[in-house]
Amino acid sequence: MSDIVSETVPPQKRPFSMPQGLGQLIPAAVFLLLLFNLPILMMLGWSIGPEGDAFKHYAALAKGSVYMKVLGNTMYIAVLTTLACCVLGYPLAYWMWRLSPRGQMIALGLVVLTFWISILVRTYAWIVVLGNDGIVNRTLKYLGLTENSVAFLYNQVGVIIGTTNVLLPFLVLPLFAAMLKLDKRVLQAAESMGASPSTIFFRIFFPLTIPALAAGAILVFILTLGFFITPAILGGGRVPMIANMLDTLVNRMPRWELAAAISTALLVFTLVFYAAYQWVEKKSRIQ
Amino acid sequence: MKTIVRSGLKALALGALLMSSTGLAQAEVKELRMIEAGGPSGESIEVGYIKPFTEKTGIKVVRESPAGLGKLRAMVEAKNVTSALNELSSAEYEQAKALDLLEELDWEAINPDPIYDEAKQDKGLGWQYYSTILAWRDDAKPLNGWKDLWDVENFPGKRALPDYPAYILPMALIADGVEPKDLYPLDLDRAFKKLEELKDHVAVWWQAGAQPPQLLKDNEVQYAVAWSGRVTDEPGINYTFNEGQLDLTFFGVPKGIDPEQKAAAMKLLHEVTVAKNQAAAANVVSYTGPSTELDPLLPQDRLDKFPTASKNKAVQFMMDPKWWYDHADEVEQRWQEFKLGL
Repeated sequence: MSDIVSETVPPQKRPFSMPQGLGQLIPAAVFLLLLFNLPILMMLGWSIGPEGDAFKHYAALAKGSVYMKVLGNTMYIAVLTTLACCVLGYPLAYWMWRLSPRGQMIALGLVVLTFWISILVRTYAWIVVLGNDGIVNRTLKYLGLTENSVAFLYNQVGVIIGTTNVLLPFLVLPLFAAMLKLDKRVLQAAESMGASPSTIFFRIFFPLTIPALAAGAILVFILTLGFFITPAILGGGRVPMIANMLDTLVNRMPRWELAAAISTALLVFTLVFYAAYQWVEKKSRIQ
Repeated sequence: MKTIVRSGLKALALGALLMSSTGLAQAEVKELRMIEAGGPSGESIEVGYIKPFTEKTGIKVVRESPAGLGKLRAMVEAKNVTSALNELSSAEYEQAKALDLLEELDWEAINPDPIYDEAKQDKGLGWQYYSTILAWRDDAKPLNGWKDLWDVENFPGKRALPDYPAYILPMALIADGVEPKDLYPLDLDRAFKKLEELKDHVAVWWQAGAQPPQLLKDNEVQYAVAWSGRVTDEPGINYTFNEGQLDLTFFGVPKGIDPEQKAAAMKLLHEVTVAKNQAAAANVVSYTGPSTELDPLLPQDRLDKFPTASKNKAVQFMMDPKWWYDHADEVEQRWQEFKLGL
């Protein structure tokens, strides 16, 4: 199979040369350095010290197990959100891929449309739908299926519904793009050799889209780590996530040193996942 | 004659000099910035205090929200003080004092009208009383205190409680039988134990003051602990001040502020102490200022909505900001721990 791919899609060969227009990059680089990198370095500085006990705040972080637990809880929510996005997003992207070009445009428009509505409104709207006195619960009660309201919201399920709702396009759009780039002749070749539709899907189509799926999944995972509004509203305040805790430490306490240590730890985690994303993404492009 | 002319000229010159210098001073402070909590409370600052201040001095006031210790600390530590006044909760005021983030107030310049002593601090002016009280939907069975909120047998329904330890732990202790006057030092173990009893009946732990009235109206919860100004004027919501927690919010001046700005801020603070202005502010949101002479100026038919109306003040307890400041770290850790166990 890989032979066919390499024959139909010749690998691009780019001669190595000094990047052109390096000079034009300087303003942007200075801008980023001053307004982005420098503040991050200052944050790193806050997390270190006082003199003689450089890692005091990191020690406090490791010892005050509650902060690590919240960080762990955040990762857990992110994993579940990623799984939910994959399970919902892959069939959606696949279905879109099989539509006529016109249908694809419409479906794509519907997916992108969600970006037009404020995340706050979309999050709050879930209360109207799934709340204790929302449409779903009232219908269930009316039908006599349940006597007490089903707790869809104000727990982990509520948070995951919210994050998945917001992040699904981030998985679907790149995945769909990758599917479009797939060489259909590969699939036709398999079909002409008598492979069944399920064989074609599981042995050719799916493996070829795994890198894009993995890249989208890592992206969703990273983005979930920073969610703030969703846990505050749909979590009912009972699903502690790291962004909300940082808000408390920065704005209310204000314990900037500890917040800086937590942020640095989070940054390191995120960079590791970002490196993984880059690696996977690059691999998917080569294929 | 000559001397008269000369002295007249001198007086003229002096007058001109004085005028130009006052003119200069006015020219320098054209705008004052303040950071406040926002929402209806911010509107009340605009109507009650900023309007008369701007009419008298010609100085425009720009409001910014929300407030928070983080912003104050950032401003002072960066030595770039952009706002002349900062709103602080009572516990934040203690914290800001300890971190040396505030200027001394110039009480002579403020020249306050009569206000309660607790509002008159070295580095802060207590400008607004608010209460944390019980509220419920009109169609729910009325409550009369914290014991009732914990009594889920007789008062069934979902609850919304504050995601702030200082606004719920004292209530838990009262529900457990502690007299309000014996609350401090707070027995944290006992308070958290009592809170554990109720946690399964709490649908939402709220962070924004606007949440409880909305949750009650949407029938998401039937009972809520809420800030008084958010619920007392809402149709369909009932409340009681009984056993409520009375608290005072402060205005402070960030350390390192420009002296001209500070002088102008003192004039604005004077307006804050005027009973008539406080009555105008209370018309916007049912929180009350610190004037000792406010009651007769408030709309008498709505007197039961105000935290400091004598009938309400008598049945509430004051929060102890010093204790909360002293135990901030321990409380926060235990609070997070508690929420992780939800």
